[in-house]
Amino acid sequence: MPSPLQCHDVLEAIELHDLSPLPEPVRDHLSDCLECQGIVADFECILSTAHELPAEAEPPARVWLSLRAQLVAEGVIREDAIRATIPAENPVVRASWWHGFSALLHGRVVAIAAVGVLLFTAAVFEVRRNSVLPVHPAITSPAVAQKSNPTQFPTELQVPAQPQPTAAQVLRDSGATLRSQERELHTAQTAGTLPTSPVDDSLQQDLVTLDAFIADCEQHVQANPEDQLARQYLAAAYQQKAQLLAEMLDRGRSVN
Amino acid sequence: MSLRWMGRTMLPVLGVGVLLWPALPANAAPRHFEKHFTVQGKPVVVIQNIGNGRIEVKSWRNAEVVLTGTQASNKISVDSEQVGDRIDVSSNLIDPTAQPTEMEANFQLTVPEETELQLKTQTGLIYVEQVIGDMTLESVAGDVHLKAVNGYIIVTTKSGSLVCTSCAGKLNFNSISGNAQLLQPALSNVNLFTTSGNILFDGDFVRTGLYTMNSGKGVVEVRFSSNDSFDLNARTATGTVDNQAADFIKPDSHGIKHLANKYTKGFFGTIGQGLAKVELSSYSGTIRLLRRD
Repeated sequence: MPSPLQCHDVLEAIELHDLSPLPEPVRDHLSDCLECQGIVADFECILSTAHELPAEAEPPARVWLSLRAQLVAEGVIREDAIRATIPAENPVVRASWWHGFSALLHGRVVAIAAVGVLLFTAAVFEVRRNSVLPVHPAITSPAVAQKSNPTQFPTELQVPAQPQPTAAQVLRDSGATLRSQERELHTAQTAGTLPTSPVDDSLQQDLVTLDAFIADCEQHVQANPEDQLARQYLAAAYQQKAQLLAEMLDRGRSVN
Repeated sequence: MSLRWMGRTMLPVLGVGVLLWPALPANAAPRHFEKHFTVQGKPVVVIQNIGNGRIEVKSWRNAEVVLTGTQASNKISVDSEQVGDRIDVSSNLIDPTAQPTEMEANFQLTVPEETELQLKTQTGLIYVEQVIGDMTLESVAGDVHLKAVNGYIIVTTKSGSLVCTSCAGKLNFNSISGNAQLLQPALSNVNLFTTSGNILFDGDFVRTGLYTMNSGKGVVEVRFSSNDSFDLNARTATGTVDNQAADFIKPDSHGIKHLANKYTKGFFGTIGQGLAKVELSSYSGTIRLLRRD
């Protein structure tokens, strides 16, 4: 005959105390109630399966790069603000704040949620970028449309650009990381023995095109860190390069 | 030439041919395939082509999807499945030693007029004509040609170009070096981005439409008519603006404070009442504005 404790009390107890150790009255109830024994067995099975799953779901570096480049280009994040939260006496950590951030994402749930939030944020700012793009161009009347002369603009409309050298620096870091990934790709390609196809040649040509554009943009952004349009193009090129490298790596994997 | 001589010379050749027949590769000639799928409502068709090849889609009034095509060899297989109104078609690699030419598969698809499409290939042309429905079209180096399609259209290529004739709905195009040409469009929302390709918009702007066209190094050319009505924002970082319609563009009068930036050059202006919104930009290319009439 089951003890006075009811089955729903057992569920509440599990919710409160997890599976171990369960209170004495619950254990007494379990010894008599086959239904609750089954529920507990199910929970134990779920838990043991969950523990066998990989501890982390680390997204590829290019995902972070792409998001970071986008957010930096939008001025949403700035490296100086991020640096302010990191102790200055640790130059290693300062230099790789993004790794520090991703290191926070240890739990599966947190990692997945964070990726979701970041992707959502990126999507929101992608939409926002499209509406922001026209905000900053030089104003000229149609008659002087082909000239750029800021001195003709009404003084009250002139807003000094906010210097964001750190944003440019973050973009440079992104570029460096992409170049590193590109080197890895070349290494993998060199190791491969399969003949290349016209698609591979085309992708390679696209990479050359992107690299040339990125080099041009990087040089310009370095000289004019406040040029928002150039930053946006640079960030977009980084995104395309990250996608291109991913495509090339995927092709290598699928072929091999 | 006697019959006996012919027999002496030809028979050994034919005999050898007959003997070697089984040894010839079975994949020497392209294989044809044809499949029929009956559908109830608005089908969703997905084609994933791992190799090269052309995908051609046309519509008819029948409630049936017909797939025909060719595969270059037996080293790939063309598999398909139908679950309700969803039809999935894919080419799959069977023999890892297959050369690129042996992985080619071409698809011809006939679908009901209202059909959603999701097509992916590597280097072949994607051609879609007279289909109403959302479509996602992806190609690495192949071009994408669309004619009289209507829906939310997403086109992604690496170097393939897009030619969109008489398209309606919304269009999103992203490419590294591909060009985009929009001819006689009736699109209400356009978002084009190419790093080194050119962009041509030749047609009318739908009132209340939103149009964004960006090219990193290429030419962004817009040909509008004097009946059009849109606000225009064109700017470039290091490129040039070639405004050949300055006489038709009035200063923007909608009260938005446009902030000056010494790093970009370009202009704001209004054509007509400014009912649509057109944003053009190029990093180092040319923005060209022309009037058609």
